Amino acid sequence: MGTVVSIELADDLPADVLSGLIGDTCAWLHEVDQRFSTYREDSEVNRFQRGEIVLDDLSPDMRHVLDACADLWRFTDGYFDAYATGSLDPSGYVKGWSVEVASARLARAGSTRHYLNAGGDIRMRGLNSDAQPWRIGIRHPWEADKLSWVLTVTDGAVATSGTYERGEHVWNPRTGKPARGLRSVTVVGADLSVADAYATAALAMGEAGIGWLAKLAADGYESAVVTDDGRAFSSTGLPAAV
Amino acid sequence: MRRSTAAAVGTLTGAALIVGVRLSVTPPAATVAAPPAVDLANSGASPEPTGSKAPAKKKPAEQTAGKTGGAAGSGSGLRDGVYKGKAADYAYGTIQVSIKVDGGKITAADATYPVNGNSGTINPNAIAKLKQETLKVKTAKEIDAVSGATLTSASYKQSLQAALDAAGA
Repeated sequence: MGTVVSIELADDLPADVLSGLIGDTCAWLHEVDQRFSTYREDSEVNRFQRGEIVLDDLSPDMRHVLDACADLWRFTDGYFDAYATGSLDPSGYVKGWSVEVASARLARAGSTRHYLNAGGDIRMRGLNSDAQPWRIGIRHPWEADKLSWVLTVTDGAVATSGTYERGEHVWNPRTGKPARGLRSVTVVGADLSVADAYATAALAMGEAGIGWLAKLAADGYESAVVTDDGRAFSSTGLPAAV
Repeated sequence: MRRSTAAAVGTLTGAALIVGVRLSVTPPAATVAAPPAVDLANSGASPEPTGSKAPAKKKPAEQTAGKTGGAAGSGSGLRDGVYKGKAADYAYGTIQVSIKVDGGKITAADATYPVNGNSGTINPNAIAKLKQETLKVKTAKEIDAVSGATLTSASYKQSLQAALDAAGA
């Protein structure tokens, strides 16, 4: 995917076990890349896109991803759109989902204290190596070495979508132009796949995303937002560190 | 993703309120799905200026409380102005409908919805808001990881996360 993934396992397990877990995680992420990368000519997503496989013959993972993208398209009124670029690109969902699955696999394999950070989207479980909740900084949208919020999370996900790294890469499907208005959107909740999609959708909505994000609190998804002109907003339940 | 919550609330609100028109004026063609019933006999005949209230945006907004019986007895219709129906008390609070008459026709209908206390359960959108705050600038100490916009591989190298990863090695 071209995304750097950082992994920390804080479990009190033998070193060879931990290495094995990391190896398995990397193998999973490579499998995801093979299947879903739009940059690989022979990926399943591209073969489907070219009509070389039909829906019935898709892998279970691909079908899950397509279903989830369809649900998210409806839920976000089209602001999350796997076809936004004109051809199928589910990577906005796949990034968070692949890490969500990786974390679940680690938990089943015996790691109950870990975090995975895939390019700024984080899934964590349990406590850090100091036996404290994980402390997650949200990068300041202008100053790369500073933070605008610090969160404390044990089990959960933190996803951020922003324009300050890759510029205007998020599209507003209503205007057909790059999204304007929000510089950074962070969503915190139980599932990284949806947190990631919600953050991206809210960014695509521009300022209207602020109101939309507020409603997610009822579903357990908190948020923190910074606008292009430097105003900051957060939900009352955001797990900010004291 | 709980769409069913909003739909269930809409149904509850609609079922609790009365739908119907009992006026001799001709309501406008299609703007209001279900014109409200207004008990003009008790509301006071003269129009009063409407206080502003939360606009009713949800689907059952046009269905409002009022008595089905009352009707403007006079055949000539209503004078122009705003008329308020009798305020009706429900479990979640008080609901009052008002209509605006212009040129002898109903041109607008509205209802006040309770927006405080536990009545937030029938209008949850009224209370869900992100609060504005000062954008803080904190130094990154004692954190485990950084969440930010996806880094390009090049910018990862200079990133906070990279520094954390290196320190942990």
